[in-house]
Amino acid sequence: MSGRRSGSAVSSISDDQITHLVFKLQQLIPELCARRSHKASSSKVLQETCDYIRNLHKEIEDLSDRLSQLLASIDTDNDQAAIVRSLLM
Amino acid sequence: SHHCFSLEQINGVPTHFSLISSPSLSEPLSWILIHFLGSVELLSLSATSFPLLLSRLIFLLFSLSIQEEVLARMRSPFSLKQEFLKKWILGLQRCRSSKKNMSIFERKKVIKLSADVAMASARKGTTCWSRALIAYAVKEGNADKHLAEKILGPASERQPTEKVTVGAMAYNKRIRSKKILKRSSVIRRTIKCAPQAARPSSTVKRLVGKRRQILRSLIPGGEFMNGVSLIEETLDYIISLRAQVDVMRSLASASKLVNLN
Repeated sequence: MSGRRSGSAVSSISDDQITHLVFKLQQLIPELCARRSHKASSSKVLQETCDYIRNLHKEIEDLSDRLSQLLASIDTDNDQAAIVRSLLM
Repeated sequence: SHHCFSLEQINGVPTHFSLISSPSLSEPLSWILIHFLGSVELLSLSATSFPLLLSRLIFLLFSLSIQEEVLARMRSPFSLKQEFLKKWILGLQRCRSSKKNMSIFERKKVIKLSADVAMASARKGTTCWSRALIAYAVKEGNADKHLAEKILGPASERQPTEKVTVGAMAYNKRIRSKKILKRSSVIRRTIKCAPQAARPSSTVKRLVGKRRQILRSLIPGGEFMNGVSLIEETLDYIISLRAQVDVMRSLASASKLVNLN
């Protein structure tokens, strides 16, 4: 690999990089986590990634809905926020 | 479990909270417990203040549950969740004045937008997606531009971010990417925003096509990303989204407990 020059050397490094990154991605996604020893195909990883991101987006939407209902009825003004902030800082 | 709570009552009125913490707790966590315990004891308890006290306790449990979980994992998301929570609360507070008469729909919008912006801001300009998210939020023509600006606070307090315009000419994109690279080399390790070597190799070919396009449409600023940078950004984006969901979910559970009482 070190003997090569120009375009082909660059692309083989990128190949390894990308394969490695795709594998890291696979480990992040719960659907594919179980198959940790095997490398799933890149297209499968991509597909599951897109589904996973969409699920996460939907969860955030739903949680925002729930929170908007829940936080309507408790006093979220200064008290709690001040306490949480004092805990964090 | 490390923490024990005991509640002493006299005639049904709670008078004293005790927090017993295990000696194996890390120092900052013990400090937090003692600090909070101190403020609890100073309160004069009465029947009316109990719900308030309980909600304060819930918030303590909530932040503790985050701390414990990440201490157990001993990984970097620790500071990410803290940073996110801090910024989210600050953002919510900035919208507080108009919150009183808000419809549920408006409130939901504030909660979601402040959460998204907080997570992006917690990345401190180190990733392309986070810069893009904030740029889109305050972009001219965005219906919620003013809300986003309110959440972000005065310009002096904002993180310095590179302006990302959508649909710019390729020439401008490259110049801007160079500026981003220059700035990032001075500060710390950042993820490049510029398109990588465009020559498709046999492996990169696996990443072309519809699926790659879909992925790019899902990530803020995805249209500027390619190859290696796309996957790196995706990794960071997913980690951030998960942290955001975890914190929001904890808060929802905590709030639910308060409401039940």
